Amino acid sequence: MGEPSQDERYREAAAGYGPALERLARAYEFDADRRRDLLQEIHLALWRSFALFDGRCSLRTWVYRVAHNTAVSYGIGRRRSGDGNLVSLEDVERTLGTRDGDEAAGRREALARLTELIQTLKPLDRQVILSYLEGMDAASIGEITGLAAGNVATKIHRIKALLAKRFNEGAPNA
Amino acid sequence: MPDETPQDELSKAWQNQPGENMTMSLEDIRRKAGKFQRRIWWRNAREYAAVAVVVAVFGLYLAWFPSPVARAGSVLIITGALYVAYQLHRRAASQSAPTGGLEHCLGFHRRELERQRDALTNVWNWYLGPLVPGLALFIVGMVIAEPIPVPYRVLSGMVMFAVAGAVFWLVAKLNRYGARKLQMEIDELKALEK
Repeated sequence: MGEPSQDERYREAAAGYGPALERLARAYEFDADRRRDLLQEIHLALWRSFALFDGRCSLRTWVYRVAHNTAVSYGIGRRRSGDGNLVSLEDVERTLGTRDGDEAAGRREALARLTELIQTLKPLDRQVILSYLEGMDAASIGEITGLAAGNVATKIHRIKALLAKRFNEGAPNA
Repeated sequence: MPDETPQDELSKAWQNQPGENMTMSLEDIRRKAGKFQRRIWWRNAREYAAVAVVVAVFGLYLAWFPSPVARAGSVLIITGALYVAYQLHRRAASQSAPTGGLEHCLGFHRRELERQRDALTNVWNWYLGPLVPGLALFIVGMVIAEPIPVPYRVLSGMVMFAVAGAVFWLVAKLNRYGARKLQMEIDELKALEK
């Protein structure tokens, strides 16, 4: 049996990672219409990319790299047209006040605030936090982002502390 | 689950959030790919149309103006505009070259920023510079041809050079400022790479 075709690979990726790609688009774009545009751009980039797929990395790594790279290009274009400044994880930690941890909000509100937080982050920090939330380990995050292992570990440590402080302060199991 | 941390719960909530379940069939993808190509085509067409306007306007000047200096300036402006169009086309082509998932996110992001930085840093070489000789010669030609006393000619020439110089200086300065900001981002990314 021969190698899967470009269309077959795309179908497999879309079936396996469709919902994750939706979450990724949500993390990059607040506006619903633009988010749909971005998601379509990601699917198109993915389909085009499979003409180049050579199996040097896993399908998952490939899919996330293409999706993040497409979203970053989209973001660069938006920033050129005057969209707001982005911050790093370190900046978020520094500016963290008591505002966010004062109540154990419902899951939906927590998710909304989490999405809002992710959307303010610089692309690299956004990629790491998203990968972490998708349940990836440090090695996979390094493979997707290109970050050195030590930097991934530092960022994950910061993310965990940030999430604990921002979303669980005051909650019974925090 | 007793061993589950609050972060794990948040991660689970993130993964289980309801989605819109947007799907794209292969027909949708191909339609979108066609639209993408058309967008590229229209972007190129707009650039060529702008160049065509410059060529047409200075082509008319070439025919109308009796001053050989102004006419030589027109020829140089047309040549400069064609060179700028070629550079825009070349840069746009390198932008749309897909790399798929071969490149990790840091490398891809850095390369995108470097490409933009280079375009801004070298703006004199590929955008402003090629237009300068033609514009200077054209202004001189216009001034020489004006039927006014020499001191007024000199004054009007100085005003035109000052205005053109100020515009070019401002464009170059804004581009350099943009390039410096991009360089800071590039340095940040380089420090993090494997």
